[in-house]
Amino acid sequence: MSDLLKDKSQRREKRIGKVPSEAGHGGRGKETTGKTKDSVSTVSYMDELGHHDDNARMAVTMENTYQLGPYKRFPVPAVTDILKDVLTSYLQQEKYEVEWSQKMTKTICEVIRARVKDLMIPRYKIVVLVHIGQLTGQSMQISSRCLWDASNDTSASYSIKNSSLYGVATVFAVYFE
Amino acid sequence: MDDFQTDEETGFVVEEVSKVIKESVEATIGKNTYQHSRVNHWSAGVVEQCLSQLSKMGKPFKYIVTCIIMQKNGAGLQTASACFWDNSTDGSCAVRWENNSMYCVVSVFGLSI
Repeated sequence: MSDLLKDKSQRREKRIGKVPSEAGHGGRGKETTGKTKDSVSTVSYMDELGHHDDNARMAVTMENTYQLGPYKRFPVPAVTDILKDVLTSYLQQEKYEVEWSQKMTKTICEVIRARVKDLMIPRYKIVVLVHIGQLTGQSMQISSRCLWDASNDTSASYSIKNSSLYGVATVFAVYFE
Repeated sequence: MDDFQTDEETGFVVEEVSKVIKESVEATIGKNTYQHSRVNHWSAGVVEQCLSQLSKMGKPFKYIVTCIIMQKNGAGLQTASACFWDNSTDGSCAVRWENNSMYCVVSVFGLSI
């Protein structure tokens, strides 16, 4: 128990510490294991949330744009094509292995994010989720729900399956006003 | 900039969010064992309860909540995420929960408005 507490206080120091956050992804914390009766849970999150950061870059004050909606909507079919292309080329011929798929989920995430960024759709934030799982006759379900502006925000998803694994990729695009 | 609200009030606080997630999973699934017919109901319940609790916090965020429920039979599952957003305001939190018969992975992304 005291270990857990110590761990927690260290983590807090780390987050308050004035380390400039590295760009984007990279540091993912993984700790806090709570044990209750017969279930176990683990929390993971981005370690350096920038809002404790004092020396983040200076806020640039922009002029008002008076823009009420996106000039260019998020092209769902184009993104679905990207997902299909990436998943097929990376996973179609493969067999499930633990270490390989740990690396592969990350790689595919980065590739998809880069390719969606290349579409150059201004004012959209992107979240990419990739799952790779082993097929052993189990059943599972993935569901998601979003609290957002349904007229501008969308998602695209694609999944493939071969004899030993399945892969699911989802892209959420959220319009940033 | 006149900023009268502190980070605690408007920021994405992982501790709070993970507590919300754990509570909704415990409340929805709890000690149940895996039943194929009820998974649909459970996963909808988990995301719905998470989202309603998050929206009750009244923070300026759009939320994406994803829930995976998988039967435990030795099969492996890897998930990863990559985001393109404003690192200083937006945040994510993922909770992996398991009991004797199933895994439940809930991830929440909060994107500031």
